Amino acid sequence: MLSRKRIMGKILIVDDSQMNRELLADTLADYEILEAENGKDAIAMIREHATEISLILLDMIMPEMDGLEALEVMGKNNWLDDIPVIMISSEDSPELTHMAYELGVTEFIRRPFDALVVQKRCRNIIALYSKQKKLTDLFADQFYEREKNSRMMIDILAHIVEFRNNECGMHVKNVQNYTEILLRALLKITDKYQLSETEIELIGNASALHDIGKISIPDEILNKPGRLTDEEFKIMKSHSAAGARMLSDLPFHSEEPIVKLSYAIARWHHERWDGRGYPDGLKGDEIPIAAQVVSLADVYDALTADRVYKKAFTHEKAIDMILNNECGTFNPLLLQCLQLSQEEMRAVKEKGSGLNSKGEHEIKAFARELLKNDALYSSDRILRRLDYEKVKTRFLKGMLGDCGFEYSVSTRILTLSDNVAEAFELPESIMDPFSDQKLTAVFGSDTVKTVIELIRKANSEHPVIQLYLRRITDENGVQKIEVSTTDDGGYDYRVVCLTVWAVDDQQRYVGTMGNFVLNDCPYGIMKGADTIDVKGIL
Amino acid sequence: MTLKEFYDSIGSDYKSVLLRMGNSEKMVDKFIRKFPNDKSAEQLFEALKNEDYTLAFRMAHTLKGVCANLGLDKLQKASSELTEALRNQVADNTPELSEIVKSEYEKVMSALGELD
Repeated sequence: MLSRKRIMGKILIVDDSQMNRELLADTLADYEILEAENGKDAIAMIREHATEISLILLDMIMPEMDGLEALEVMGKNNWLDDIPVIMISSEDSPELTHMAYELGVTEFIRRPFDALVVQKRCRNIIALYSKQKKLTDLFADQFYEREKNSRMMIDILAHIVEFRNNECGMHVKNVQNYTEILLRALLKITDKYQLSETEIELIGNASALHDIGKISIPDEILNKPGRLTDEEFKIMKSHSAAGARMLSDLPFHSEEPIVKLSYAIARWHHERWDGRGYPDGLKGDEIPIAAQVVSLADVYDALTADRVYKKAFTHEKAIDMILNNECGTFNPLLLQCLQLSQEEMRAVKEKGSGLNSKGEHEIKAFARELLKNDALYSSDRILRRLDYEKVKTRFLKGMLGDCGFEYSVSTRILTLSDNVAEAFELPESIMDPFSDQKLTAVFGSDTVKTVIELIRKANSEHPVIQLYLRRITDENGVQKIEVSTTDDGGYDYRVVCLTVWAVDDQQRYVGTMGNFVLNDCPYGIMKGADTIDVKGIL
Repeated sequence: MTLKEFYDSIGSDYKSVLLRMGNSEKMVDKFIRKFPNDKSAEQLFEALKNEDYTLAFRMAHTLKGVCANLGLDKLQKASSELTEALRNQVADNTPELSEIVKSEYEKVMSALGELD
């Protein structure tokens, strides 16, 4: 009997009348039943049992917190995305019924109800939700896997070129990031080029192959520290046409938009706005916009990086040089974009690419397109989950050790890895950590306040926060933790956190994950996934 | 008095009650016998006496729901009317309506006493 109930699912019955609860519990004898007397108890119960609950039957008029108020809380916590709610009430007022639907109930059953109808509806809704959840998970997994693989292949290919070119390994990533930043700025100031978000992603991806032709350039020329002779420079310049040929000669995929874009970028990323570039001497908007933008991104990154033949210029110097036409001539609109997005580019330059800007947009755009054609995924829950999972995986991959923790707004649960939990004698999961007494007792209210303060100041552009903790013993012999946001060298733990943001119309804080790094363990320092040594792998 | 006779005596249709409860006579029997334990009616009268109309509204609402499912049609109708009067808090006819609820409640209780 018990195993049957487990398979059928768990139903939470929320009603202030014991009689009503009993009647429903008897009607739904095939399920495991949880009961709550009012909205408040129900919320507590959902927090405790979270994902175990397959369905909630909710009364409307109750003391403490009524059904509609409870629904509002559930909606705010995004629980309604995963747990269906049937409202059961003898309420006849159409306004209240409408309000219930607006707040997200799946069904409204009026009293007196028919036992058979209640049984059937519960069964159908639970089946529907679990089917959708399975499909969503499946879709997310497959999509993520697919996306990861193709991205990885492009990255590897691009890194091979860089490796040969003795570039630092960040060039391709940087160009990709700058390209997208500039294109988004362009989209803001003009509709001349009719760019969509999907195309921006595509151009960003295609930009990874802009220098693919360099694999045909001899090593002595490619990596010559001194000035190239005219003859050598001629050979060097052949890389753009060579790269284009490689792409146009592909025996497969040659009609794919990404291949066509890659071709245009590889061939024309050394053209100049004034027509004095190579290989074709195209002028102005004869040069495809994708190639124009990559060209500018390429120049900016080349200027601000060390090369065999030169030292890096500062960001300011590089911008000045570009604006003064010292490094070629560019579309005036693009120069305007460069000025507009300077700070964003500088941030990528300084922080390195990767933690937040790349990938999310792309996944979102792709998923949205899929969703448009498929009513099944009408909820944007999957997008949120994809964003979150993707950022999370990438961040976690880049970290050494397993002294991590994770907090998600939707569940309001802080999860500590067993090492951290053990070190601080805390449970592995903590509900509502910002007001948790145990947590405050261990880390001190100053630490909690500092964290809240830092999260408030963070955003998707600046998602990383750090603090330094020191274990001290006060005059009464009590062990305490002292917090600082700056490194005075004497700390015991450095805490590195990534705040995660969902960006749609506006930014929404969705959680934080991070790691404790011991001061005397330098290898515990975060290692960005993007700086993994490719040479070592090859 | 059988279940059918009980429902006849209070002016309800036993057949539809039975159908709603999954055609289970046992279930109807179990829950109708629990009705005297349900405190919503007593709490309603208490709240009315104390002029606590917010609580009275909630209790009338609960009583209405309980009666609906048990097929206590007349008491359900009376408590429904009282619920609406209390919801708007224009309590002009509240005393009359509560008297009707009381008298219907007593009818149900006394009929329940005669159940086999």
